[in-house]
Amino acid sequence: MTKTMIATPISVAAVKAISDRYDEPEWLRQRRLAAWETFEATPWPTYKEETWRRTRLTGFNLADFGLPVETPETFSSRDALPEHLQTELDKVDSAGALILQDGALIYGELDADLARKGVRFTDLRTALAEDEELVRVHLGALVATDENKFASLHYALWRNGAFLYVPRGVAAEKPFQVLVVQGPGLANFHHSLFIGEENSEAVVIEDFMGSQQGMSDSVAESYVKQAARLHYLRLQNLDETAWNFATQRASVARDGLYRQLQASWGSKLSKVWIDLEMEEPGGHGELLGLYFPQDHQHLDHHTNQNHKTPRCTSDLLFKGALDDHARSVYQGMIRVHHGAQKTDAYQKNDNLLLSDHARADSVPGLEIEADDVRCTHGATSAKVPEEYVFYLMARGLDRKTAQRMIVQGFFEEVINRVPVPGVRAKLEAEIAHRVGIE
Amino acid sequence: MTATLEIKDLHASVEEKEILKGVNLTIRQGEVHALMGPNGSGKSTLGYVIAGHPHYEVTSGDILFNGESILDLEPDERAKLGIFLAFQYPVAVPGVSFANFLRAAVSSVRGYKDRAREEMERTGQLKEVGSELMPMREFRKELFEKMDRFNVDRAFARRYLNDGFSGGEKKRGEVLQMAMLQPKIAILDESDSGLDIDALRVVSDGINKLVADGMGALLITHYQRILDYVKPDKVSVFYDGRVVLTGGPEVATMLEEKGYGWVEDHLAELEEKKKLVNG
Repeated sequence: MTKTMIATPISVAAVKAISDRYDEPEWLRQRRLAAWETFEATPWPTYKEETWRRTRLTGFNLADFGLPVETPETFSSRDALPEHLQTELDKVDSAGALILQDGALIYGELDADLARKGVRFTDLRTALAEDEELVRVHLGALVATDENKFASLHYALWRNGAFLYVPRGVAAEKPFQVLVVQGPGLANFHHSLFIGEENSEAVVIEDFMGSQQGMSDSVAESYVKQAARLHYLRLQNLDETAWNFATQRASVARDGLYRQLQASWGSKLSKVWIDLEMEEPGGHGELLGLYFPQDHQHLDHHTNQNHKTPRCTSDLLFKGALDDHARSVYQGMIRVHHGAQKTDAYQKNDNLLLSDHARADSVPGLEIEADDVRCTHGATSAKVPEEYVFYLMARGLDRKTAQRMIVQGFFEEVINRVPVPGVRAKLEAEIAHRVGIE
Repeated sequence: MTATLEIKDLHASVEEKEILKGVNLTIRQGEVHALMGPNGSGKSTLGYVIAGHPHYEVTSGDILFNGESILDLEPDERAKLGIFLAFQYPVAVPGVSFANFLRAAVSSVRGYKDRAREEMERTGQLKEVGSELMPMREFRKELFEKMDRFNVDRAFARRYLNDGFSGGEKKRGEVLQMAMLQPKIAILDESDSGLDIDALRVVSDGINKLVADGMGALLITHYQRILDYVKPDKVSVFYDGRVVLTGGPEVATMLEEKGYGWVEDHLAELEEKKKLVNG
């Protein structure tokens, strides 16, 4: 049964209403209003802008989406959760879990030992109430309000998000898991804020789901402090009628390590920016991507590997398979600033075309202002090699099974590098589903 | 019943260029039949055409397996009948583990998959995941037994199919696949090329064991070398898209002594001899 959602339209009144409802501090109210002004002052992107040349917003109308009004039911234990959410959480052996439904925290748990050590893993709303200063300093400091029109809209209207704070020297062995669930027809503005203090280590998994005929406009900010290690696995499983916009950025301090996986399965159209900021020497950043659009899905990823300082390494691997009339866009940039000597940066985008009507555009790029660096990039786009298919068929596999096996193998290079077994299994299951194995 | 693969006046082309120009050849289960010929004579094409490579077009003639034409069959259907092609250059398939691939292949060839489908159609119930595959435990047991028997490192199971394999490892891998799939007739395309003496021994030993178990082998080779390890029952000489002479092991010895130039010089004479042989 589809529940009728009561929703309010998107407007400046809605921006004020959010501030009022949560009795927000004045600085936040002012930020929201400023963001709304920027949003209104910024024209909608057109194909004349380089970043939007290959992705059109035809059919997108903000007035089609509402903001949630109802407060959803909350749950006090895993056992009480609806079965599908419980199943989803159980796939990963985690140290903590959060479920947000349309911006409301409906379930939360955290390992007691980690909580004692000072780990904070909660919704952003709770973090703001409990530690306003920490949130004020970090919120919006990486992804600016005026970054793009969707970021402005996000900062005007965000309601909640996920917050992880790992104190100095604390290593969480098991991952933290967040389920971001969205109801039909709604606009959701999830904000992820992750802070790994010096020498800390954590893995955080965020799973986006739902949003039939809705929109998701999210921002993620990850702070990797000195010698910290943060892994962020982001699984976009939105309904295939959803519009998805996401701006994500991580900053990596001295000797820090940041690894992100972006798995893009759902949405009708996605425009995703993923930026890596190498701020201090000795850091390592890794960006992994998987996508497998089908039917008329259109998935667009923009990446930036921004080397501002010497002796950092970064490594990017995005792999996509495309079927039916699907379309993908990958635009990547490695930017090595003046003085960022001994940078070692790599960028690769591979596409496998499973249909004559699918199209993958790949635009890798380099901008290098230092002279002692090693930077490599590459992009490929090819059909399933007939020689592979013949070899497997000559061993008794029918054509379909042979092709499926090759496609699954194609993604292994990325999946292998995902540090959580439960997530690897989820990714493999999704790929198996997409190649037609239930 | 002894399986037979008969090739009758087979003509095949690639992009309008005729490569096979009337091949006649019979391979029987339990027999080793060496097919020797110079580079570029079309030996490998014959292997591909038997296995059903879509790139080649059969323009006339026939290939019969136990008396039935296989020309309309897909490569996987030929494999299920018991025909195996060991590739000269096995393709590397990144991300697909040797064990996963082989389990799927064995399950298909041994009918697990067809039985699961029939079962599903009969009961109308959806099959469980994995029910179309040979049970994991059984498969692993047999795989490891055969790895030991055929001198293949157990670490192969987890490696990606031929990915980063040395030439010798690829050929060992082909022998292992053959041992698991248990074909009735195998076509071994230059299984000796690029092998050092140790690898050659392992590969030859594997072929001998499978032939002893009842497999028939068409051993395609340029050199006599492998025939020191795998004793042929018959030797055919392949030249310019045809078999020009078939005889016993002595033909290989003669070729080794006189070289392929001799074949060219005596082509007319050989044709005459062949007619006499064929009666």
